[in-house]
Amino acid sequence: MINKQHMEVQAEEKVIPPEKSRKIFEKEFMPHLDAMYNFALRLTNDEDDANDLVQDSCLKAYRFIGSFEPGTYAKAWLFRILKNNFINDYRKKSRGPSKVEFEWVEQSYAGEDDAEPAFQADLRAESVNEMMGDEITAAIQALPVDFRMIIILCDLEEFSYEEMAKILNIPIGTVRSRLHRARAVLKEKLANYAKKRGYGSDTLSDELELI
Amino acid sequence: MKTSCNHQSNCMKLIQKILDKEATSEEEATFLANKDQCLPCQEGYELELSLKKAIREKCVKKCPDSLFEQIRAKLFLLLILISILIPLLC
Repeated sequence: MINKQHMEVQAEEKVIPPEKSRKIFEKEFMPHLDAMYNFALRLTNDEDDANDLVQDSCLKAYRFIGSFEPGTYAKAWLFRILKNNFINDYRKKSRGPSKVEFEWVEQSYAGEDDAEPAFQADLRAESVNEMMGDEITAAIQALPVDFRMIIILCDLEEFSYEEMAKILNIPIGTVRSRLHRARAVLKEKLANYAKKRGYGSDTLSDELELI
Repeated sequence: MKTSCNHQSNCMKLIQKILDKEATSEEEATFLANKDQCLPCQEGYELELSLKKAIREKCVKKCPDSLFEQIRAKLFLLLILISILIPLLC
């Protein structure tokens, strides 16, 4: 009995010598620094915050390097740490109105599949093709954080549904429906923007504020 | 060619699944066969495709090199400190 417990503890901690840790870090983690920064920037919307978030997440990854299994997808593991870090910071900082927004988003998924988008956005592929990067980025930035996160993980970082389920710690069915709903909201925002631009005399920034 | 689709909500879900590379090959084949005869499905497919492409191509803000180096340098300094300190403390 004592022996068994002892073995379990050892298996969990798996102490790795610093030299080897540094090697794993350099080889497996550093190549994803760019993607991590981009994800952090999209989440925080601020260069300094993104910088801090990436650094904190890297240090955490180093600290828990023993629980990383070499050969598995390091990027997904790192993104999961980054996302958890972000959510913790976000919860701590947001004692203001944005907290309500976040909780509302979380709650609205509790039921799942009935969260069917009621509308089909009136948006054409040509309008999307004509849009500038800034316009699309601004529309994504205006999404609630859960929607923003899943769109970036899927469309930008090209994680599979299964990987996203692990990163976000939600069932795969929720990944599917959240993604579907996030895209519906994004399309609606872009459709509004395209429509306004059609009549357009306002400046770009005025219009983006209205999205 | 159909100008309205009776199951558009399901079709849109399937389109996204296909573009996300999560659909089975049967699902994909069924949809592609159907797509030629259905205008809303064709338009939906084009829209989802262009949206996905736009996000992938236009929303990447590369970490500025200076900042990248700064993160790297700071991180490595910390890592070296940690790897010196941990054996000393243990």
